[in-house]
Amino acid sequence: MIRIEHLRKEYSNATPLKDVNATIADGDVISVIGPSGTGKSTLLRCINQLEKPTSGKVWFDDVEITNPSCNINEVRKKMGMVFQSFNLFGHRTIIENVMLPPMELLRKPKQDAYDEAMRLLRLVGLADKALNYPDELSGGQKQRIAIARTLAMDPEVILLDEPTSALDPTMVGEVQAVIRELTKTGKTMMIVTHEMAFAKAICNRVFYMDEGGIYEDGPPEQVFDNPLRENTRRFVRRLKVLTIDITGRNYDLYDSLSRIESYCNKNQIPAKQALRTQLAFEELAEQLVPALENPEIKVAIEYAEAAEQTTLTVHYNGPAFDVILHGDELATNVLRSTAKQIEYQRDEQADLPNRVLLTIRPTN
Amino acid sequence: MNTRLRPLVLVLFASLLLVIGVCRPARAESGEFASLKELANGRIGVQTGSTFDAITLRSLPQAEISYYNTYADLTEALGSNKIDGFPGDEPVIRLIAAEHDTIAVIDESMEDFEYGAVFRKNQRGSELKGQFDTWLKGVKTSGELERLTSKWIDGPEEQKTAFDYQSLPSPNGTLILVTEGLYPPMNYYRENEVVGLEIELAARFCQDQGYGLRVDVTNFDGILPAIQAGKADFSMSGITITDERAQSVNFSEPYYKGGTVMAVRKASYVAAMANGEQTTSVWDGIVQSFDKTFLNESRWKMFVEGVGTTLAITLASILLGTHLGFFLFLLCRKGGRITNAISGFCMWLLQGMPMVVLLLILYYVVFGKVYVSGIVVSIIGFTLTFGTSVFGMLKMGVGAVDDGQREAARAMGYSDRQTFFRIILPQAIPHVMPSYKSAIVDLIKATSIVGYIAVQDLTKMGDIVRSRTYEAFFPLIAVTIIYFLLEGIVNFLAGRVERISNPKRRSRDHILKGVKTDD
Repeated sequence: MIRIEHLRKEYSNATPLKDVNATIADGDVISVIGPSGTGKSTLLRCINQLEKPTSGKVWFDDVEITNPSCNINEVRKKMGMVFQSFNLFGHRTIIENVMLPPMELLRKPKQDAYDEAMRLLRLVGLADKALNYPDELSGGQKQRIAIARTLAMDPEVILLDEPTSALDPTMVGEVQAVIRELTKTGKTMMIVTHEMAFAKAICNRVFYMDEGGIYEDGPPEQVFDNPLRENTRRFVRRLKVLTIDITGRNYDLYDSLSRIESYCNKNQIPAKQALRTQLAFEELAEQLVPALENPEIKVAIEYAEAAEQTTLTVHYNGPAFDVILHGDELATNVLRSTAKQIEYQRDEQADLPNRVLLTIRPTN
Repeated sequence: MNTRLRPLVLVLFASLLLVIGVCRPARAESGEFASLKELANGRIGVQTGSTFDAITLRSLPQAEISYYNTYADLTEALGSNKIDGFPGDEPVIRLIAAEHDTIAVIDESMEDFEYGAVFRKNQRGSELKGQFDTWLKGVKTSGELERLTSKWIDGPEEQKTAFDYQSLPSPNGTLILVTEGLYPPMNYYRENEVVGLEIELAARFCQDQGYGLRVDVTNFDGILPAIQAGKADFSMSGITITDERAQSVNFSEPYYKGGTVMAVRKASYVAAMANGEQTTSVWDGIVQSFDKTFLNESRWKMFVEGVGTTLAITLASILLGTHLGFFLFLLCRKGGRITNAISGFCMWLLQGMPMVVLLLILYYVVFGKVYVSGIVVSIIGFTLTFGTSVFGMLKMGVGAVDDGQREAARAMGYSDRQTFFRIILPQAIPHVMPSYKSAIVDLIKATSIVGYIAVQDLTKMGDIVRSRTYEAFFPLIAVTIIYFLLEGIVNFLAGRVERISNPKRRSRDHILKGVKTDD
């Protein structure tokens, strides 16, 4: 359905895509993952020509759409796109956002367009908002409408560019649920996302992007669990384990907390557990940093999906110091409340001789 | 009040009283000046663009000169003690003194002067001047000139019958006379028509020589440029013959000789002022002013005409300027470097230039050789400036629409044109409307300068009335009130447009018109 050959995109200060080659078959649902700045969004935008590729060719249904004589507007009617920032038309009501494009672009009769629009609004659960304006809706609702608007054009392919990245964590679920429903209809889809668990659950193919191209292309079981190539392996491991290093007294607590938060989001750790993880980290850091002369602390956070269990492993230097025995009583009580189990060990041979292993108390 | 502040306030209050006390005797001393000598160090007001400043300084080298636009302003300035006197040509000053019981005339001629008709300095101008001089010689010897002069200068207003110049036969073509129209008894408006000694002389000259006559009215400092640019064939407008002027235009033989005299306050008025007496009650004053300004000689008709002209210029400029700005914006929307540079330069030029200068350049330079009425030139000028501001507003308004809107529309398959008209523009207009409304109000006020290019708009009509009544304030305030009303009306209309153009004000029925809904 889509064939990409030697696609290259240069900007004045960067070259995100050096040489991309891929063939996308009818009915494929592809998750595009990879570190930031590796051209995931650029790839999507080159496919529908929102960005003009520097060189290379893209075919869609055997039409070369990178050819200047190709009427790109006709091609785009068959390629829906969902944006990170929703981009609903602010001057139109919800129903108009969904029904006017088919009327204006596909000459659909008004009644048909309306009926179809209402069907789609019911599908995304927002039929009662038909006469509201986009700015009266929450982010999650807006994105569901944006998906309905794309579906109204009945496209052959849907490109989703980080559809949940701009949403509050509480609204991610509703949008993911709609997308999940969509994958069951057999439409060809490409989705750029950072939600790995979600990506894994919905796709039949993963593009891991790195080094200016599609670095690894395979089924999700391969890419997520047994990656063939080195960069993929490192990326997937980084997704699973978060490490935070504290060196010196002047460390940024809030930056660390927000990294934990986004790690928890990515791995879909239940909200209560995520909160406890942050609390445990904060209490540990507040205890250890003042107690050590030249603090050097390594924290590793890991979430085991099967057991739904989060563990914090903390290594640090200095003389023997057990946070539970030697720590401040109030802080210790807080720590205890977050944890199912806390273990302290000392290994004189190691670089950082002290070790605390803390298992976060599960949600229920 | 804070008790510590009280002494301070008392001291301030006392010193204020002292200052007033010192000032009052000073005012009382400025009595009537019986001769020019007493005015040696006086404050003298003169009309801008006239030669009276030079004349005053020749007889009163120490005098302090300030400039005013019209005799009405000078009269007001004299009454409110801003100046001690103002010079003028004898017929005018006598007329002003007759209208105002506060003003007296010093019977000393500061300088004798001669009025001449002005022609262009080219061959046709010299020919016309020759014809005029020959004709003038004829009427001088026949005594006709003397008869007409005494009719307009000494006679009562009822006997100053107007000469109908509108329907003169024109076998030799039509001449255009340009005049100020603010200078009774030489040239002035009476019942919406220019009359006066100079008008009658010009008309009789044309009649005898087989010309038709059209009279254009412009500001005094626009007269010589109009002759030089060929906008008019000749001018008779109380223009004193001087060597300096003779270098740029052709003067005829003089048709009127007179002296320059000085107007001062009457002693009785000064005394009354010093005693704080009112010569008439405030209410009577207002009633009198109202009668003079609106009812005498049906002057309200002039205001109506002025409003019509102002509205015509404003509305035409809004309509054309909006289209122009929109058209320019569409041309520059894609943002080619060259088109942007050109449009940027034009914007910079038009918006940086004072409106008066732009109008004068359009009238005398761009359209100098062809006859285009001042109203049309005004509409062109204001269309240009309004167009540039509409262009700027659109640029701002479209810039305020998030680029994601364009991306989403293009990604769905809307063409560039469709994207602009269906998605971007409807969202830009609500951003634009507030500045559009204030630009309209600015435009109405800005049109008040079109008097410079011979257009009689509301402000100019106010000036014309002021030149007859010699009242500075009442006509000005009346004009201001009319402007307020016009702005109110136009603003109301713009508000309606704003409401209609806002897509979020549509009703549910309108949105789903012609659709069967389930509920």
